[in-house]
Amino acid sequence: MSRRPESERSDWTDLDLLTREEAHGRLLAEIADTDVRLAGLGESDAAERELLESRLRALREAAEDLIDHAQGNGG
Amino acid sequence: MPLQPWMKLLSTDDHLIEPPRLWSDRLPARYREAGPRIVEQARGEGRAPAEVWVYEDRIYPYIGLNAVAGKSPEEFGLEPTRYDEMIPGCYDPKARIRDMDLDGVWGALCFPSFPGFSGHVFLDGKDRELALLCVQAWNDFVLDEWCATAPGRLIPLAIMPMWDVDLCVAEVHRVAAKGAKAISFPENPSPRGLPSFHTDYWDPFFTALEETDLPLSLHFGTSGQAPKTAPEAPFAVTITLFGCNAMYATGDLLFSPVLHKHPKLKIGLSEGGIGWIPYLLERADGTWERHRFYQNVNQSVRPSELFHRHFHGCFIDDRFGVEVRHHVGIDKITWECDYPHSDSYWPKSRAYAAEVLADVPDEEVHKIVELNTRRIYNLPA
Repeated sequence: MSRRPESERSDWTDLDLLTREEAHGRLLAEIADTDVRLAGLGESDAAERELLESRLRALREAAEDLIDHAQGNGG
Repeated sequence: MPLQPWMKLLSTDDHLIEPPRLWSDRLPARYREAGPRIVEQARGEGRAPAEVWVYEDRIYPYIGLNAVAGKSPEEFGLEPTRYDEMIPGCYDPKARIRDMDLDGVWGALCFPSFPGFSGHVFLDGKDRELALLCVQAWNDFVLDEWCATAPGRLIPLAIMPMWDVDLCVAEVHRVAAKGAKAISFPENPSPRGLPSFHTDYWDPFFTALEETDLPLSLHFGTSGQAPKTAPEAPFAVTITLFGCNAMYATGDLLFSPVLHKHPKLKIGLSEGGIGWIPYLLERADGTWERHRFYQNVNQSVRPSELFHRHFHGCFIDDRFGVEVRHHVGIDKITWECDYPHSDSYWPKSRAYAAEVLADVPDEEVHKIVELNTRRIYNLPA
């Protein structure tokens, strides 16, 4: 069984994948940003508030799922 | 805000990670051992083993950033990875749709990963019958499983058995009949030991693409020749110069017979940005004006005219390219996301696109993020 030399692996095939930990960190950063945007909304921004609250719920669920899966795998 | 909420972002350059049973579920029993399958490979004491593909007797790992949480960018590194370290959207189409929703992205054209972005790993196959079955299995997975999960959102791209042009022609027609929307191919076949674009070898293949109206998607790096300046040069040099591969492919095709013999052929330059295009076209036209008379090149059509007839490009964050978009051609620009690679802006791709396109009129933004891709790839709204 041979390992292919790196010189032959010259496209991006196996590089640069977004891992769970990096993705989780990005989700936490986006949750924090969204929290700040929500806090800055006035009472007249009901539609925007609804959109952001919906996004926040989806972001939190996605972040929790990544953590749950990592814990389920002993991570 | 030029990027309006009702505009659907369509990415012409994303990637999928092949699930572990893609080939074992599809290959005949006699080929399951030699066909691609996942095995574990040690990564050192106290660490779960990496999961790598074995195809015939060769190993192909997936590589990702090592655990980055709590680390500074100075400590990041790349290493072989395993499925439970990837985000599920890499290999699970339902999870991919969820991640696209979080990202504000409607549609995605996904290139292969283990087979190489143009499927060229199957060129390595010692058993050509197995290699053909592997190519067809990848295409069937994409058409029947991956894209069938969300028709109209996951856009089917197919790979070719590129060691035999007649097999390519047959596969183009087979996947077109099943709903494929694009064909991935090496940006330059010559370094892969295949006939170049300057021969007539690929003519039946290009004719098949014209007949089926399928664009040829050339992802940068698929020639197998990464830009490298010196053995000691850091990988940053290669990353910086990778867009030059798209320039090479464009120059190569513009001065080849291909576009003159195949007037309906559509060519997509995947990844690599767009800001270089006006410069290269000026340079190509200047070369053609001064040097065409003593060379075996077309004498009547300027390279820039050929480009505008045949090519389109894409960008993630090419602010200069957006600034010079009228020199590129508004109708020639598409948007890309590059999920699940870490240089994508997930889960902020839409917000980032809005920022990059902030000074562009609405109707031009709509063409760039959605309408051009619908037109070129035949995607009904």
